[in-house]
Amino acid sequence: MVNAKLNRPDIELIKISSLVKIYPPATLAVDQVDLTIKEGEIHSIIGENGAGKSTLMKALYGLIPYNSGKIYLRGKEINFGSPKEAVRAGIGMVHQEFMLIPSYTVLENVILGVEPTGYFGVLNKRKARERVEKLVEEYNLNLNLNARIEDISVAARQKVEILKLLYKDVDILILDEPTAVLTPQEIEELFSRLKRLKAMEKTIIFISHKLDEVLELSDTITVMRKGKKVTTMVNENLTKSELARAMVGREVVFTVKKDEARPGDEVLRINNLTYTDRYKQERLKGINFNIRKGEIVGLAGVEGNGQFELVNCIMGLIDDYQGEILINGVRIDNLSILERRKLMAYLPQDRKDTGSAQDLSLISNSIMTHHRINPGLTGRWEALLDPGASRELTGQIIDKFNVLIPGIDAPISSLSGGNQQKVIVGREFMLNTDFVLLDQPTRGLDVGSIEFIQKEIIRKRDSGVGILLISADLDELFNLSDRLLIIYQGRIVAEVDPAEVDKEEVGEYMLGAKGVAS
Amino acid sequence: MQLLIELLRSTIMAATPVLLAALGGTYTFYSNIFNIAMEGMMLIGAFMAVLGSYLFGSWVIGLLFGLAGGILAALIFIIFAVYLKTDEFVTGIAINMLALGGTTYLLRQIFDVKGAFMSPEIVAIPTWKIPLLHDIPVLGKLISGYPFIVYVALLAALLVQFHVYKTRFGLRIRATGEDARTVDSVGVNSSSVKSISIFYSGILCGLAGVFLSLGYVNLFAENMSNGRGWIALAVIILIQGRPLGILLMSLVFGFFEGLGLTLQGTAIPSQFTQMVPYLATLVALYFYSREKQTGVEVEEVEAV
Repeated sequence: MVNAKLNRPDIELIKISSLVKIYPPATLAVDQVDLTIKEGEIHSIIGENGAGKSTLMKALYGLIPYNSGKIYLRGKEINFGSPKEAVRAGIGMVHQEFMLIPSYTVLENVILGVEPTGYFGVLNKRKARERVEKLVEEYNLNLNLNARIEDISVAARQKVEILKLLYKDVDILILDEPTAVLTPQEIEELFSRLKRLKAMEKTIIFISHKLDEVLELSDTITVMRKGKKVTTMVNENLTKSELARAMVGREVVFTVKKDEARPGDEVLRINNLTYTDRYKQERLKGINFNIRKGEIVGLAGVEGNGQFELVNCIMGLIDDYQGEILINGVRIDNLSILERRKLMAYLPQDRKDTGSAQDLSLISNSIMTHHRINPGLTGRWEALLDPGASRELTGQIIDKFNVLIPGIDAPISSLSGGNQQKVIVGREFMLNTDFVLLDQPTRGLDVGSIEFIQKEIIRKRDSGVGILLISADLDELFNLSDRLLIIYQGRIVAEVDPAEVDKEEVGEYMLGAKGVAS
Repeated sequence: MQLLIELLRSTIMAATPVLLAALGGTYTFYSNIFNIAMEGMMLIGAFMAVLGSYLFGSWVIGLLFGLAGGILAALIFIIFAVYLKTDEFVTGIAINMLALGGTTYLLRQIFDVKGAFMSPEIVAIPTWKIPLLHDIPVLGKLISGYPFIVYVALLAALLVQFHVYKTRFGLRIRATGEDARTVDSVGVNSSSVKSISIFYSGILCGLAGVFLSLGYVNLFAENMSNGRGWIALAVIILIQGRPLGILLMSLVFGFFEGLGLTLQGTAIPSQFTQMVPYLATLVALYFYSREKQTGVEVEEVEAV
């Protein structure tokens, strides 16, 4: 816990007063928000997706204009027309999506846009390097300036983003959900770095919806809900449930209740699955595991360690693998994707491209896959769909999965992320297969939707379905899994009982620090 | 010996317009603009150069006119492709067709000729006799006495290489080509970077046109760029934009064009001899891409 008292008088650094932002035509994203950020503090802003926290920060940063209200920096009124002006005034923002040139070195990325030059615009890299090296040392960033961005880890890229801002002499850093892409160990490292930045008299605004993180890191916490500021609290003796209640407006269950699993027959078996991609890289190396009916098997791993390839092999999107995949004891290796889909439900990780067709209606999105394998959807001729039956199926999904919709014929893109995901989960669960493959089922959703979907997953398990759950969220894996597999560099390096290990241990397996035969 | 010197001289002469255009295209290559308008830029440059030189009796005015022609075509490209966000391919095709139709039309309207316009009043680009070296027997013949634009082109290859890799603008232009949004996010206007890159390609293609009509020959003929803009594009893609490599490839192309011209004296039909440079380009493409593929595989295996 960091509750260090500021060793300085409380100076109001940023003051936001009655800020209103309306997204056309009439979405009130930020509603009369007052906020004060004090110099040298770590100030967290938390709230569910759509609570307005990012919008508020974008307005401050000059990325979007706001409708009314005032912003003061050190007592002077400001209204930045662009991020460039904000940076010049000393405010910098690290976005969720990194803004880096992949083929450029760390140094080149840091100086891009503010390059020191000599005559005729010739780059003075030596001068740049000296300054950047000094910053790296001063803030203990541990970065190789000559490494290319495409060769370094996500955590290192995040450090480059912070370094970019430090190079521009920014003294207020806004970080938009920086931990979403990091492993537990990397999060620890980020936090100690942020505390160091604070010690070096920088002010940090930390946007998050993860309560534990916010409690660990912040001096002050502001909670937002539905565009309004709920409260600002000093982080002293605050509890997680107090914060959650303020954030959601009701009591929240963090650990979805589930009974002991009652595993039945084996539904999925993978024997010695090996896959070498076209660049001759071995992505999967002799994978063996099974899943039984009525259990959830979690797969943990840092992204890019073979999860993507494993999913594609099971789904048949990759068909030149070696080894065997069996469902209900029958080999599926020679089946087409459509034939495989009759045996398994699949929730892809990327909701917008693979999971749905954004421009198509709710109906079209609800009947996908069903339209090929559910005879109830076609009339007398197989090639023609029965519109009545399609509507009925859509209606069932909407009812059963509590989807909030503007209308059944509206495009799915008009739904919020959580509701879109409910439609996709509903569609897949309604296929009534014995095996379900879930790839990041709750990524990027708000607390309420996560809770709902996790409950549905457990209900699915209890109905006797075998589930493979791939997730980057360790909390989720610990909450839901009955068994937990850990994948590292294309190998299953461990199988653990989530009730018996802690996250740190799993994290060590994920980073290859443990369990790899050398 | 005499023949060999002639062949090498014609190699350098034929390489120059391709080199200049390809250097221009290097800028758009790095800013990730699919610039197929080089052909048109060159043709407009060639026509304007003859017009200026003829009307004012001065190669300087011809040169300025030619550059202005290239710049004009570049500005059209910028307005449509960068600011109105039309498709680059379609815009490029339109400029090429406009250039071909427009110059042919103006040729007939202004000079009242069909096919080609020749006149003793078109003042050519002066040649440069390198002091001292010019009088050395073989060497002097080989490297001295070309229209001065040839030397400009060689110098330009070095300058472009330096500009793209060692300067602030170079850093920004390559970054823009890779990820324009990131460039915008650090406060650099990527649209301006793209516009400037097209502008530079317009100037260099215009210069290539000037060389064609006032240096390589001394006349304007319909469609006299004759696919050189396309060859330049092929060279750029082949070499992946490295200016010194482009210099080399242009010389190879120039050699085959020169060879084609030399072979015209023989019994081979001229239709075939004219094909030589283009066939050579295809062959080069074939070998290069095969080489690249195996190269990639080796690299990947080593990475494992």
